[in-house]
Amino acid sequence: MRPIRIALTKGRLEKDTVGLFQKLEYDCSELLNKGRKLILSVPDANLEVVLAKAADVITYVEHGVCDLGVVGKDTIMEYGGSFFEVTDLGFGKCQFALAGEKGKDFYEGYSVKTIATKYPNVTRRFFEGKGMDIEIVKIEGSVELAPLLKLSNAIVDIVETGSTLKENGLEVFEYVAPISARMIVNTASVKLRKQEIESFVEKIESVL
Amino acid sequence: MRKHYNITPEGTRDLLFEECGAQKKVENILSDVFKNRGFTEVITPSIEFLDVFNLKSHNFPNEQMYKLVDTKGRIIVMRPDSTMPIARLVATRLKGHPLPIRLFYNQPVFTLNQSLNGRSDEVVQSGIEIIGSSSKRADLEVIATAVEALNSCNTTDFRLEIGHIGIFNTLVEALGVDYDVVEEIRWLIEVKNYPALNDLLDSIEDSDCTGMLKQLPRLFGGEEVFETASKMFNNSKITEILEYLKTIYHALSELGLHEKITVDLGIVNRADYYTGMVFRGYIEGFGENVLSGGRYDHLISEFGCDLAATGFGINVDAIARALLKQKVDFGNKIPDVLVHAENGYEMKALLYCKDLIKQGKTAENSVFEDLSQAEAYAKQKGIKQIDIISEDVTLRMVK
Repeated sequence: MRPIRIALTKGRLEKDTVGLFQKLEYDCSELLNKGRKLILSVPDANLEVVLAKAADVITYVEHGVCDLGVVGKDTIMEYGGSFFEVTDLGFGKCQFALAGEKGKDFYEGYSVKTIATKYPNVTRRFFEGKGMDIEIVKIEGSVELAPLLKLSNAIVDIVETGSTLKENGLEVFEYVAPISARMIVNTASVKLRKQEIESFVEKIESVL
Repeated sequence: MRKHYNITPEGTRDLLFEECGAQKKVENILSDVFKNRGFTEVITPSIEFLDVFNLKSHNFPNEQMYKLVDTKGRIIVMRPDSTMPIARLVATRLKGHPLPIRLFYNQPVFTLNQSLNGRSDEVVQSGIEIIGSSSKRADLEVIATAVEALNSCNTTDFRLEIGHIGIFNTLVEALGVDYDVVEEIRWLIEVKNYPALNDLLDSIEDSDCTGMLKQLPRLFGGEEVFETASKMFNNSKITEILEYLKTIYHALSELGLHEKITVDLGIVNRADYYTGMVFRGYIEGFGENVLSGGRYDHLISEFGCDLAATGFGINVDAIARALLKQKVDFGNKIPDVLVHAENGYEMKALLYCKDLIKQGKTAENSVFEDLSQAEAYAKQKGIKQIDIISEDVTLRMVK
């Protein structure tokens, strides 16, 4: 039987997940000395680990080439997709927030506001919920620059401690949604390999 | 402007040789299964009015339909689903027809998928509908046909899961919350998002129902699910539904299928017309369901004819792809003989070909003027024998 394949979001979520594996006393030697390899095995847990960028984790799980995935709620909210979102892993905690220049009233005036963000879908939905038309500018790098350069009235971005905002004279106007790492599962895998996947998820949940 | 004459639109593709063979093979197998069980084929138009898919109780997501405009300015869509056109057909063309009506179809459906997500916009679906019967036997017949269909295709391992939309409906009805909240709960159960589901239900007044809804997405697996569920739910309507599913499950077990059948009480499709038992099929190596179906007792009444119905559709493309991986023979043959006519004997060659075919051989009539070209062609294509037609017939093996 082929091993269960899990896609991890490279970086912090990967480290935290490997931490969970270590708590479960899995053999993580390959994961800790991975070099440039992208598919790694955890032999004693009959597990194969794939390292990928956040949005790709969703793609791999959606198409069923990976059975499970660990990805941030921010990515899930932005990209959507069809999969089961079974567990809140509790790490990688932060917030989606609407932020802008300190002391300004964001909602002031009638003019349509411009929002800079890396997350156009999340932003669109948030303001649609308020019945508010806005203009979105997609930014790839430091979003905080946009209001400083007067390209936008505000930003929607991930805020952890808020120190970047503070240093640049910005502040949070409003929180949009809390974020943390989630375990996602392919919809067919869960039916075809129920036992293995359930017991794996339970083990992970037991060390959270 | 850049012209796109040498690629196909995103989400579509050409099927060549064995791909095409696999597709046709699956279509033929399924057609045989359905015909042998007394279903008759129908074909509905590739385009329909938008209104067919935009009903009161059910509408297909607008942004997922390919749209056109007819000469009167009315919106036409490329059929995104076959069941709704068949409901239209039954309510209009087959009014007064003896019941039940057993139909099958095999035709593409079109969905406008999000760009770059690797899904096909055109998918061939094959399926059946039993119309005009609300009996348990009809449900059983449909499921048994579904199992037979998946079995006959001889793909990898498959699973069929059964559920019932009535459990969810009963629970949310008792909850007495707004439509939007119901849809939110439905969505969270469908994607098995346990954390968010719990949060949402905790925000609603605590009752038996919220507790039961929390458990719903976890209730899937084998026969044990019935026991767990019956302990959990103390509602007569739900008990009845569980009993119903259990008899179906046992009936299928009697067919020796208990390993293939699972139960999932958390099937609660958002955009569906289903009203009773629902089921889905999965095969190894395809990340989504390949078969989905169930009972839809109110759909046809939207077209003006109150008839109960049940049925399912299979994703033919997905099964064909699974078959391709198994290197099955798809009936694309190299001809046994290349028949080459010398000048003036073309008609004789045609008759000779016909003769060979009658004998059960595959014979290709050479279109080359020159024998040496014909020989080179046969060699390249792997045809083992050339029959040269002049006054006599000369058989020559290709080296």
